[in-house]
Amino acid sequence: MAAPPTSGTTLNDLPDVILSNIIAAVVDVRGRNSAALVCSKWYALERATRSSITLRANLRDLFMVPNCFRSVSHLDLSLLSPWGHPLTSASDPALIAHLLRLAFPSLTSLTFYARNPSTIQLVASQWHNVEHLKLVRWHQRPQVETAGDELKILFSECGKNLNSLDLSAFYCWTDDVPPALESCPSVSSNLTRLNLLNPSFSEGFKSDEIKSITKACPNLKEFRAACMFDPRYMGSVGDEALVSVSVNCPKLSILHLADTSALSNTRGDPEHDGFTQEDAKINVATLIEVFSGLPLLEELVLDVCNNVRESGPALEVLNSKCPKLRSLKLCQFHGVSLPIESKLDGIALCHGLESLSIRNVGDLTDMGLIAIGRGCCRLSVFEVHGCKNITVRGMRTLASLLRRTLIDVRISCCKNLGAEQSLKALEPIQDRIESLHIDCIWDDGTESGFDLNDSFDQGEVSNDENHFESRGYNDYYDAATIENPSKKCKYSYDLNSSSDLNGYENGNVYGERTWERLKYLSLWIAVGQLLNPLTNAGLENCPNLEEIRIKIEGDCRELPKPSEREFGLSNLVNYPRLSKMHLDCGETIGYAHTAPSGQMDLSLWERFYLIGIGHLSLRELDYWPPQDRDVNQRSLSLPAAGLLQECFGLRKLFIHGTAHEHFMMFLLRIPDLRDVQLREDYYPAPENDMSTEMRSDSCSRFEAALNRRQISD
Amino acid sequence: MGVVEAAHNVRVLGSGETTVVLGHGFGTDQSVWKQLLPHLVDHYRVVIYDNMGAGTTNPDYFDFDRYATLEGYAYDLLAILEEFSVDKCIYVGHSLSSMTGVIASIFRPDLFHKLILIAASPRFLNTVDYYGGFEQEEIDQLSGAMETNYKSWVSGFAPLVVGGDMDSVAVQEFSRTLFSMRPDIALSVFRTVFNFDLREYLGRVTVPCHIVQSSKDLAVPVAVAEYLHQNLGGKSVVEVMSTEGHLPQLSAPEVTIPVLLRHIQHDIVDA
Repeated sequence: MAAPPTSGTTLNDLPDVILSNIIAAVVDVRGRNSAALVCSKWYALERATRSSITLRANLRDLFMVPNCFRSVSHLDLSLLSPWGHPLTSASDPALIAHLLRLAFPSLTSLTFYARNPSTIQLVASQWHNVEHLKLVRWHQRPQVETAGDELKILFSECGKNLNSLDLSAFYCWTDDVPPALESCPSVSSNLTRLNLLNPSFSEGFKSDEIKSITKACPNLKEFRAACMFDPRYMGSVGDEALVSVSVNCPKLSILHLADTSALSNTRGDPEHDGFTQEDAKINVATLIEVFSGLPLLEELVLDVCNNVRESGPALEVLNSKCPKLRSLKLCQFHGVSLPIESKLDGIALCHGLESLSIRNVGDLTDMGLIAIGRGCCRLSVFEVHGCKNITVRGMRTLASLLRRTLIDVRISCCKNLGAEQSLKALEPIQDRIESLHIDCIWDDGTESGFDLNDSFDQGEVSNDENHFESRGYNDYYDAATIENPSKKCKYSYDLNSSSDLNGYENGNVYGERTWERLKYLSLWIAVGQLLNPLTNAGLENCPNLEEIRIKIEGDCRELPKPSEREFGLSNLVNYPRLSKMHLDCGETIGYAHTAPSGQMDLSLWERFYLIGIGHLSLRELDYWPPQDRDVNQRSLSLPAAGLLQECFGLRKLFIHGTAHEHFMMFLLRIPDLRDVQLREDYYPAPENDMSTEMRSDSCSRFEAALNRRQISD
Repeated sequence: MGVVEAAHNVRVLGSGETTVVLGHGFGTDQSVWKQLLPHLVDHYRVVIYDNMGAGTTNPDYFDFDRYATLEGYAYDLLAILEEFSVDKCIYVGHSLSSMTGVIASIFRPDLFHKLILIAASPRFLNTVDYYGGFEQEEIDQLSGAMETNYKSWVSGFAPLVVGGDMDSVAVQEFSRTLFSMRPDIALSVFRTVFNFDLREYLGRVTVPCHIVQSSKDLAVPVAVAEYLHQNLGGKSVVEVMSTEGHLPQLSAPEVTIPVLLRHIQHDIVDA
């Protein structure tokens, strides 16, 4: 037997108090789990200091809930299995609730699946002192006697210390909220955070409802709500309601008002000119008044889906009235940046902004973009959507101007900025950007005779006003030499040549491009298109890319059988560190079993999309199967189950739809798979009765089989 | 809960003097009746269940020997009727289950008022003097696909063949649901389906039969409906709906539901 090494002091020799603080500071769950495996003392300390936990047990096993997590202040019960089943369907719900409360005595923040009023009653009665509550329900709202009854139950049981309420994933009606808030003034006046940004509302809150909600909750610091901005509806939110928000809730630091159509995230038409038929009932004077009334504002989102014209002056005021504003998102605001000569206006004057998102600005041109780049010099996050008139030039100039700070860019639904163009435009920040979204719209390569060799500025671009005054804008567009038009020379991969990207492109060589710091990539692609052109479009090397999100959208009923066998997921092997993927075919519509003769059904499409996924070394996957809208079905098909089973390194798999038990059983062939769930988190989630959903017995059998296996790490 | 009830996910809904039993075809499950059900529960006691081998049942319960012929499924149906003390019912069966109902009615005619047969066929393969809708080559291709999937699955690979890969449009349509079953069960059901020939037994049926089908169902030519009508032992009536496809209760409920309701509510007039 070897003698233990007589080493010097180790971490373990620290006094318990200090060690406990160190372990408490570890936030990452895997890190904590590793710490807990070191020795029994560390295990005890880790368990005792963990502050946030999500329970993933099966309802029937809940009585075994561990007691060691005494410090947990945030508990998430919304993901218990079978997913979406109410706590009240457990065999002894009162006992379970009681045991949970005993196990987590320090709870201040709770998330749970509020399937029906009796569940709300059960849970709320256990935790009277809770401060933050999030209710989750994707299933249909059950019938209640009067609107607002469920929330009234909630407030009466645990309203005492409640200061934060999140209903953004709780399927209810807008009618439910104002009566509940009005009937419990002690609760509503205590609320500092209220999130009503719920895509399940068929229409958002109307003007009167916004007024009464804000009146009932004067101490709100964060207010998020889905509104009805469309002026064609009676009572829609307009000037009056907006002013009432600022008058009733002057302490707001986060204000987020979005039209329900914006929440459903449907993609617009890039050909659309950006102007809706009707204007919103919001004028500039109102906006100025609102901004003046909210001096503490740090984050503002106005996702109006009707035109707000000539908003420039209001945005100029925003800068002076709301000095703390760091994050701004506007949809359908026109005139946000219409610089005349080199004088900045509108948003460009908000130089404190760190995050900006503009959607559907009909009159935004390259000049306007450049002005934003000059004016908002601290911008680190920038999103532009649905702006038909901007091109590579404007975008590229913006990127160079913001080179020091910009690390997160999203470009979508802009006619002149498909994949290749967007990537060209972002070359100046190629080595800095960490998060990126582009649309996978493949053009044929030949764009304007714009020559990338021509550099805008050798060296730093300064934001110094004087410097700009002396040069005209035209100097930026010195497209003099067009020696090597868009033909690319694919050189053999040479690290040295492609690493010279700290400045801008000099020379005529289009080597492979390296996106050194890119960690997160998001793509949109129309159904039927292939993924293969992605690397050649400019994303050749992404050595640190860890996470990718691909959204595929469209109606495949109108398409013939795909000409290629595979969509091209195997191309992602180029990115060696890729480990997490969200593959979202949820907005792809087709036929499940009811395809008319000669038409392809969704099993063919799922196979097309998933072939090759086994080649990637994914560890976590979220998958949304395509849907058959006519029968409200989003279900895994046979080839999909088979292909998913080929992801041998997978540890976590979440399928946002339904699946047969025997398909789920395929997944048991993945050796390290440990966390799997079917989550029908779309509105409305199918009720148990009449759908091809995994019955709760099937779910339990599958999970039992999953959990029985040995996990190697 | 009884064993039969649990295994078949049986549910009894609604109330009324008469009992209606709904049997789904292979590859689907009881959710295929979801459009019809609300129209029945007010006036009838409805018994709805899943066939063994459907995606919603425990695959361990699929007995390959029992279900090698349709009689196995017929015995299941009779067991369900007995478990729920149904003494006389109207049985609505789709595709394979319509034939199951036919066989069950031969064993126990006393249990059935009448049968409603949707997309029914006594034999799918064509012969010299019978047009069932499928040629041997088409079936051979499907057989190859089923076996390929089975072999992949057994070896741990992804079963990748889907209905859309078949050349024949008729096979594509008919087998769509077959490709959503577990590969070994699918292979077994495939063999059952394309081996059975119930033409001989039709004469022994005494219970009235309402034959309903789509005008354009590639798997069940309209001639088959006529053949059934001519050869069934008891009274029968044929209705061809202006729908397309093998699953009209799902793909065209607005046409199909009223037709089914009419056949459930009214009996065949004596000639």
